[in-house]
Amino acid sequence: MLSTLLRPTSGTATVNGHDILTEPDAVRRSIGYVFQDPTLDIELTGRENLDFHGRLYGLDRNTRHQRIKEVLELVQLTDRADNFVKTYSGGMKRRLEIARGLLHHPEVLFLDEPTLGLDPQTRRSIWEHILRLNQEKEVTVILTTHYTEEADYLCKRILIIDFGKVVVLDTPDNLKARLQGDVVSLLLKDPAAIEKLRPILEKQDWVHKINVVASGNNYAAMSRMMQTMPKMSSTISMAETVPEIDSRTIKEPKKTPKQTQQKSEQDITDKSLQFGGETCSKCLNLLLDSGGHRIPEIVKLADEAGVILESVEMRKPTLDDVFLSVTGRNIREEEGSFVDMVRRYRIMRQARGQPTRG
Amino acid sequence: MQPISGQAIYVVLLRELKRYWRAKARVISSVAQSFFFLAIFGLGLGGFIGGFGGINYLSYMAPGVIGMGLLFGSVYSGVSVIFDRQFGFMKEMMVAPVSRTSIILGKILGGATTATIQGIILLVVAGIMGAFTPSLAFIAGAFASIGAMLLITSGFVGLGVAIGSTLNDFHAFQLLSTFVMWPMFMLSGVFFPIDVAPLSLQVAMLCDPMFYGVELLRWCLLGAGTDLLGPLGWLISLGVVALFNALMVGLGTYLFSRAQI
Repeated sequence: MLSTLLRPTSGTATVNGHDILTEPDAVRRSIGYVFQDPTLDIELTGRENLDFHGRLYGLDRNTRHQRIKEVLELVQLTDRADNFVKTYSGGMKRRLEIARGLLHHPEVLFLDEPTLGLDPQTRRSIWEHILRLNQEKEVTVILTTHYTEEADYLCKRILIIDFGKVVVLDTPDNLKARLQGDVVSLLLKDPAAIEKLRPILEKQDWVHKINVVASGNNYAAMSRMMQTMPKMSSTISMAETVPEIDSRTIKEPKKTPKQTQQKSEQDITDKSLQFGGETCSKCLNLLLDSGGHRIPEIVKLADEAGVILESVEMRKPTLDDVFLSVTGRNIREEEGSFVDMVRRYRIMRQARGQPTRG
Repeated sequence: MQPISGQAIYVVLLRELKRYWRAKARVISSVAQSFFFLAIFGLGLGGFIGGFGGINYLSYMAPGVIGMGLLFGSVYSGVSVIFDRQFGFMKEMMVAPVSRTSIILGKILGGATTATIQGIILLVVAGIMGAFTPSLAFIAGAFASIGAMLLITSGFVGLGVAIGSTLNDFHAFQLLSTFVMWPMFMLSGVFFPIDVAPLSLQVAMLCDPMFYGVELLRWCLLGAGTDLLGPLGWLISLGVVALFNALMVGLGTYLFSRAQI
């Protein structure tokens, strides 16, 4: 919506001082957009893709030439610029897209899942590029991501959207500060014993929150976030419009199966008690003060209740925990191809021994 | 509404040309296909039929086979908006500060240019095969036919864009080929003149826009057309082709600007 591809159902917003309804052209000129899905013409070379973009944005020959050289250097693709894009790796394509997004010197750059599906090395190098853009070129970067560590690393402000509603907008440090204490994960030998142990732990006043992480939720460990890296000169007033962006997105029919799936997931777990997702197949996550001192006590309590603990793990809260805490649900996916979604939906249903629908 | 931008039209056109130039397999296969029609039907069937109205069969078929190249080339070009949407490149164009009208005009001009280049190649091939009698009148006619080709193809690219903007699935391309393009081609009077066909077929042929396209090419290249439309057949054909062109370019632009990305 901020990119003027969709019209808001109500209200408006300004991007770089331009109204998205009355000055869409000025908005388009001040933004760069890197879509989640690749939007390069693979039959053209990298340089031709950039040249195409430059012409679309009305840059003259000299400016184009100059800037193409500049952005290629920035993303270190100069030596591959004249190869066909179909010979590029995923990371190179992503870098080329970022370069393209910068070609017309936008004030604001939108990155939709810039590192989705990339290997850790490429992801790291794209992160470095993004940070450099922000710091050296003073470009405001708005990015959406499923990776909470990406948000933590890159962003000055994080906005979490849950079911189309803005849940929270704050700095990563402030967000983490909301969850004081430590997270202790308990892996139980007998998953059925969870219900036995939980009431006991709930009675302890030093336990702030308890979360049951069920199997099947782990590979759904993604979140929908929108982060902002503000810079001095440009402003985006989006507080009013952002809720509509996602409510609009969610209204798209192709996303419906996933929502059904999310609801079914929700049913198994207590909505109010979620805050941690880890790699164990069935475990209890506790949020408590000075976790280290409490571990012996937890073990003792479990012992008394006759529950056998497989392992105990303690860590500082991460943005994952923050996300779970503020959305009140398990982390879940929001994006992905339709086929992927349906497939996953089926697998999950089958895994739980429920009939497959739809 | 944003103004129509010349540079945007140009860059989309340029992209079409580059892609065409690089897809040599496509060019070769379509030229070869037309060549087989000319060689096998034109020479084979020609030996048996002889010709129509003093024109030998190979010459009679040549404008129709050129028309086939134009038809398939241009509809395919238009329908390729499906691929652009499927592979995401469309979004890159949509988010740019240019109007959709400029994009689609570039697309139509690009598709018409590439299909016409294809038509010119076929014209040369047919010439080498001896389909035309070289004369000053023929050379003038050949140049006129290039104008006709541009007019015919831009209409069909418009049709392709209209279809491509409505369909979301490129598997439907097979259906389109079987139920739209092939009947259009076969009813265009490429193999037999309209006056020898039964009435029901004549009606169908008169409803086929490609029939007028082939008729127009035949007037340009052979200096004569079917008796059914009379001596002003070229003018009628030109009129129908121009009308079809205007309708299809309009429809394609309209449907494209409304299409979801």
